[in-house]
Amino acid sequence: MIVFLSGGAKNGKTALAEDIAVKLSGGGRRYYVATMIPYDDEDRARIARHVEERAEKGFGTLEVGRDIGSCPSLGGRDATYLVDSVTALLLNEMYPDTFEREADPTAAERCRAGLLRLGREAENAVFVSDYLYSDAARYDAFTENYRRDLASLDRTVAGMADVVIELSAGIPIVRKGEFVL
Amino acid sequence: MDFIIGGAYQGKRDLAFRRYGLTADDIYTCTEAEGIRFGARCIDRIEEFTLWCVRNEKDAVAMFRENREAWRGAVLICQDIFCGVVPLGADMRAWREMTGRLAAYLAAEADSVTRVFCGLEERLK
Repeated sequence: MIVFLSGGAKNGKTALAEDIAVKLSGGGRRYYVATMIPYDDEDRARIARHVEERAEKGFGTLEVGRDIGSCPSLGGRDATYLVDSVTALLLNEMYPDTFEREADPTAAERCRAGLLRLGREAENAVFVSDYLYSDAARYDAFTENYRRDLASLDRTVAGMADVVIELSAGIPIVRKGEFVL
Repeated sequence: MDFIIGGAYQGKRDLAFRRYGLTADDIYTCTEAEGIRFGARCIDRIEEFTLWCVRNEKDAVAMFRENREAWRGAVLICQDIFCGVVPLGADMRAWREMTGRLAAYLAAEADSVTRVFCGLEERLK
């Protein structure tokens, strides 16, 4: 089963995604796919804390910042993957080595191929993204392109998902399928 | 009138094409520079029209009221730009508020209101 969760920041998306992944995996293996690539000691300390917290919930951690489609070959096709987040994956793919360079224009399509592959090959996948499409602002071209590409990936994942949930003020609104908890 | 609302890039225009069998020629797209043309089968980017209103000191709701006959049978599409943080610039604040007020007016006038989220539609009215 594929579940897609989106909504605003600090809404409880990750916590709900964890609960859903636990439920879907039953007794099977479950992995938290950490997409953030650490850049300093503060990042590394936060990651270490998260890894420990999730271990208590029975999650292994896979650090996959790019090439998300590789997950099933790392953890097996019969596992459950919690991918948090599509937002970070796209950013990572846009800047394959350094932020100094121009964004890679093929990032969104590589990201899309990887997401589709994970959705196709894994027993269960829970994807988390961020909803950043409803504000009154004129963005620079870089940010606007990023928003457009992320929306396009969101729609791809929502399209293949069995269940789509929007979180609003921490409350799940089921947009597609049946709530799985 | 049928009103479609939702965030940027969520598939609002795709829905209008699909549901109402529109072609590209049926759609008028508002711009910040040109404002609006009432009378099209479908008017998209109404939030660009409200920005034109702010720049030109017009009241968007009043203009829609005056031209009611021209859009009564139309499909209207607007981005819900009024959900985010209150912006710092006075123009952006006025834009956000005027769009919110216009959306509420149009939703009240509409025969149907649909919100689009990640390509998925939700009938609000």
